[in-house]
Amino acid sequence: MGVRLIQKTFDPQAEVAAFAEGREDAGALVTFVGSCRARTGDVAVAELRIDHYPGFTEKEIARLAAETAARFDCPDILVVHRVGAIRPGEAIVLVAALSVHRANAFKAVESLMDYLKTDAPLWKKESGPQGARWIEPRAEDHARRAKADERLR
Amino acid sequence: MIQLVFLGKFGDVAPAGLDEIALSALMEAGVRTLGDLQHWLAGREPLLGRAMAATRTRLIVNHCVAHDLSQALADGDEIAFLPPMSGG
Repeated sequence: MGVRLIQKTFDPQAEVAAFAEGREDAGALVTFVGSCRARTGDVAVAELRIDHYPGFTEKEIARLAAETAARFDCPDILVVHRVGAIRPGEAIVLVAALSVHRANAFKAVESLMDYLKTDAPLWKKESGPQGARWIEPRAEDHARRAKADERLR
Repeated sequence: MIQLVFLGKFGDVAPAGLDEIALSALMEAGVRTLGDLQHWLAGREPLLGRAMAATRTRLIVNHCVAHDLSQALADGDEIAFLPPMSGG
């Protein structure tokens, strides 16, 4: 299980290659990369800043990843998340899951992303020409998390 | 001493110098529990109080989620105030 918070840009493909190297126990690898948009609706975004709570944030994301791996029988999961200042086009989050067959790896990545949106101790602030605003989970994010909870039952 | 940490939007409105408070000073002000502390902060820092009242606020004590606002403060505690999270 790997969880890393990083301050600088990262290369998701290189991270995935290193993560999957030599994993002959897994027949499936599913990855998701979320990136910073240049616009949210009609609002231009010049910079995204992500706050975290050192120590606690890593611990909580590791807990969510471990629960996901156990639920979907994944031999390994990787989460790389940016913190600090991020520019449009840069990767914010990478989630990768290994499993024996594809179905569980797909489900694990989707489920873990749903939890990260609402339960990872991270706080996003968008800023641009129209000012700055803190982002809170949308109704859709809460609905997806509720569905992820149902899948876990 | 009690360490205070304000995350996300709370960090924008918490004044500088509020990151550390002597437990004895809190006790003198009648602040004994997490709930007392939140109430005391809101009275002392109205902007912070309004921000916390306007949203769901979670308290984390020594990196563990606090479920009970009647939990007593202890010397050396690190108490963090978390607004709703937005990762991913």
